[in-house]
Amino acid sequence: MLSDQIQANIERELKKYPADQRQSAVMAALRFVQDEKGWIAPEDMADIAAYIGMPQMAVFEVATFYHMYKLKPMGEYTLTVCTNLSCQLSGVNETLLHLKNKLGIGLGEITADGKFGLREGECMGACVDAPMFTINNKKLCGRLTGEKIDQILAELSAGGQGGKQ
Amino acid sequence: MEKIAHFFKSFLLIELLKGMAVTGKHLFSHKITVHYPEEKTPQSFRFRGLHAQRRYANGEERCIGCKLCEAVCPALAIKIEVAERSDGSRRTTQYDIDLTKCIFCGFCEESCPVDAIVETRVLEYHGEKRGDLYYTKPMLLAVGEKHEAQIAKDRASDAKYR
Amino acid sequence: MINIEIDGKRIETENGTTVIEAAHKAGISIPHFCYHKKLSIAANCRMCLVQVEKAPKPLPACATPVTEGMKVFTASEQAVKAQKGVMEFLLVNHPLDCPICDQGGECMLQDMSVGYGGGASRYHEEKRTVLSKDIGPLVSAEEMSRCINCTRCVRFGAEIAGQMEMGQAFRGEHAEIMTFVSGTVNSELSGNMIDLCPVGALTSKPFRYKARSWELSRRRSISAHDSLGTSLAVQTKNNHVLRVLPIENEDINECWLSDKDRFAYEGLNSAERLTKPMIKQDGKWQEVEWQVALEYAANGLRHIANGAGAEQIGALATANSTLEELYLLQKLMRGIGSDNVDFRLRQSDFSADDKQQGTPWLGMPIADISRLDSVLIVGSFLRKDHPLLAARIRQAVKKGAQANIIHSVDDDLLMKVANKTIVAPDALVAALSQVAQALDAEKNGKAQTASAGAVAIAKSLSCGGCVAVLLGNFAQQHPQAAQLQALAQQIAALSNGKFGFIGEAANSVGGYLAHATPGTKGLNAASMLATPRKAYVLLNVEAELDTANPQQAIAAMQSADLVIAMSAYKHHATSYADVLLPIAPFTETSGTFVSTEGRVQSFKGAVKPLGEARPAWKVLRVLGNLLKISGFDQDTSEAVRDEALKGVDVAAKLSNTISAIDTNAVSAAGGLQRVSDVPIYATDAVVRRSAPLQATVDAATPQAWLHSEELKKLGVQVGATVKVSQGQGSVSIAAAADDKLPRGVVRVAAGHAATAALGAMFGTITVERA
Repeated sequence: MLSDQIQANIERELKKYPADQRQSAVMAALRFVQDEKGWIAPEDMADIAAYIGMPQMAVFEVATFYHMYKLKPMGEYTLTVCTNLSCQLSGVNETLLHLKNKLGIGLGEITADGKFGLREGECMGACVDAPMFTINNKKLCGRLTGEKIDQILAELSAGGQGGKQ
Repeated sequence: MEKIAHFFKSFLLIELLKGMAVTGKHLFSHKITVHYPEEKTPQSFRFRGLHAQRRYANGEERCIGCKLCEAVCPALAIKIEVAERSDGSRRTTQYDIDLTKCIFCGFCEESCPVDAIVETRVLEYHGEKRGDLYYTKPMLLAVGEKHEAQIAKDRASDAKYR
Repeated sequence: MINIEIDGKRIETENGTTVIEAAHKAGISIPHFCYHKKLSIAANCRMCLVQVEKAPKPLPACATPVTEGMKVFTASEQAVKAQKGVMEFLLVNHPLDCPICDQGGECMLQDMSVGYGGGASRYHEEKRTVLSKDIGPLVSAEEMSRCINCTRCVRFGAEIAGQMEMGQAFRGEHAEIMTFVSGTVNSELSGNMIDLCPVGALTSKPFRYKARSWELSRRRSISAHDSLGTSLAVQTKNNHVLRVLPIENEDINECWLSDKDRFAYEGLNSAERLTKPMIKQDGKWQEVEWQVALEYAANGLRHIANGAGAEQIGALATANSTLEELYLLQKLMRGIGSDNVDFRLRQSDFSADDKQQGTPWLGMPIADISRLDSVLIVGSFLRKDHPLLAARIRQAVKKGAQANIIHSVDDDLLMKVANKTIVAPDALVAALSQVAQALDAEKNGKAQTASAGAVAIAKSLSCGGCVAVLLGNFAQQHPQAAQLQALAQQIAALSNGKFGFIGEAANSVGGYLAHATPGTKGLNAASMLATPRKAYVLLNVEAELDTANPQQAIAAMQSADLVIAMSAYKHHATSYADVLLPIAPFTETSGTFVSTEGRVQSFKGAVKPLGEARPAWKVLRVLGNLLKISGFDQDTSEAVRDEALKGVDVAAKLSNTISAIDTNAVSAAGGLQRVSDVPIYATDAVVRRSAPLQATVDAATPQAWLHSEELKKLGVQVGATVKVSQGQGSVSIAAAADDKLPRGVVRVAAGHAATAALGAMFGTITVERA
């Protein structure tokens, strides 16, 4: 079941669109669920479909189309590392290696305590700050170096608000 | 005058001698016949003889039952039945070639997408009853197993022309 | 009108058409995959690229509307280059497994590749693989790597079938056609996705690896499983039916086919087929020669006619018997001297029989349904009983028509329903008369006294456009069917519309034309079973599944001295019959069906009868000869048909008009009432034996559906087994909740072995904890 908060959020979103275009709110609805639960389970998609009144498969299509919707648990803090050209040239491979060693996980995996998840992403449109990653698709962290990464991770481990959902 | 010429020609057996000369020439020339079966003429690697079904090196039969050979056969000599095998692959349950109908045109091997049905260089086979020349799948596979080395070599020789 | 030029050919076409439509109309072919005339335009395959004068780039013909003076080139250098390029792209990820692909030989991609593709591919990298999916027992999605993502199946589901079960998940190179969380495709029209799929990604599961397309011979036939008269192509090999496909017929089935018609053929070769005549001697069944069996049957009938009297013999046939069979059956019975013959086995109200002016029918051609502005559907499990008619109404609704429903259950019709009134069966007449009352008030400016729901329906029906009232199977089987008919007539008259019956089975109209109904002195199906006869002749009938009251039917059969069962299958009749005569199902005999729109369609047998089975018309003919009844000397089924329809103007005979029926509603009965549908895959003997259809969700074991409040009252949990009883019989089935049902109603399916011990399809029923 969708929580009251999510339902209220969806209702607010629905007001932006004509009454016969309820499916326009599907992307926002998926985002609300992800923000609350950290990822979107098929049951949530079914709930959204029922709530908005569109086919379940259509919700699934949207959720799988966009990379930023997480279809499996990706930890409390999901670090999405850009691996496109600018970041590659600026040494994202070392950044990735550092992250992998530090967290002890590979791409698409989460740490044993469920705190961090690591995934690959596409260009975030801020190549000036390359190499970079985002935290939970909310906060951009650029010009990464080993020390800076350690600092960010330490902050997050300590319960910092870096992109807290 | 003509009569006289004719008389001398017949009297002196000139025509006979001419004929004998041809015979004599061939008597001492290189012979083109061979002593079959002790001697055999050379065969092309495209020779179209007895049919065979091939297997892959791992023992899996090649034929996937696409029935293209059955469809293309101008003599309607091939009969195939297909079913799904337990592993989900498409396999023949029956693959018969009636060699008494076959005209050895080679269309079947030409149409085969997996080189399963081939015509070998074997031309010395026989049947004592009409039914003996009705080759079933196990018989064809047996022919293939026996001659696989030669078949593979022939395919390889032909490959560059394809 | 607009003038355009395609490949130098001047074409006049309507404004708003697309280039591909205009080209096809002019007989110019443009290659395409994703375009389909019945589906929305996606323009995602890019195969139909053509050159248009003044356009800088090639344009997709399927998505480009025509404009005045447009010059299109479908085979210019630019167009050909574009088509060749698209073809190469499509083949990049398409596996080269044509030799084992069931689509091979009838594949659009194969054909287009030969016609428009290059000789060899320049792509040598690894092809992408897509995992296979299990989407149910009918459609195979075993080789999804073959998919070219044209989304025809997705659009078919969303637009024609009304439910989007398939979709394109993920993106770009990872895009896959799949169902939501590996669900199955449960649509009753799902088989059409197989036809629509231009490649071999979606194929028929029962047909998998059965034959290659070029091995099959095609025979035209007519659907025997519903009343639409769908045009079929029965495809056979080695005297076996291996596949059934639709034949395009815009007036009837457009280009679709319901799953029932498509996959029923699997029941034809069931192990239960009766292949030799059998006689029960000393309680044991013995296979005998035809001659022996027929003489036994004839002697038995003669004996009873001479002894107890001919009126002690009754004949029952199902409505999916052919016109010829029904005609000869009634002729045989009347020749013996009995008027007891009927084919309306599930009907319970026959009071309209002497008030009916003609043969009840749809009341309009099927094609007219697409043009309706407002329709009232009374008592119909529309989607399951008439899948293609439902699809037609769905299209009409999409174009703006209003669908109004009066029924006892509220199943999702997968279309927008304008108004609905869901009441218990005994309140159906009252609900309909309310609508009539409201219409009357609406028309004559009187004050509205009817309920709000009825007024809303009345308002919808008095829109002044094309209006129809359609009575479904439930309304026809209803104990007050005649009153419903009279009310429908009244409503149609008040709204200047038409009204009609959506026929239950293939020959629901043909049975009347063949006179397979009792005359004034004869007994109808219900009274024949209520007052047991000494002898019965059954044609295609499974007494416990095909009748309105199985309890009564079985009791009547068991008490009879002689039961002659003509059947294609060895079924439950072995427990009550004395003679079993193997007859041929519709693919093995020639015959005629008269569809619900009154279309007389004859068909020929596609294969030879199995074993010693024979066409029923021949069996009846010989029985007539043995009984020395005159007029049984026809040599062909065509001769029988011509005799049956001699001097009959079918069109003139069709009439739903009914006179003088008291439409006052009867008082409600107490207790729980039964509502029964005949599940979609339980309607006739062939369908019931089709293994793939029986594996579908629609063929699940019947449950007792109640409103959850009713369940609470009974103290029964959902899923718990309950004892459902009617008369002396009872069955134990699972309870299920359906809050859309009216209170005081239990929905229990009929026509299924699990509920065959119950009584009438309507009436009181008790449910208790097991």
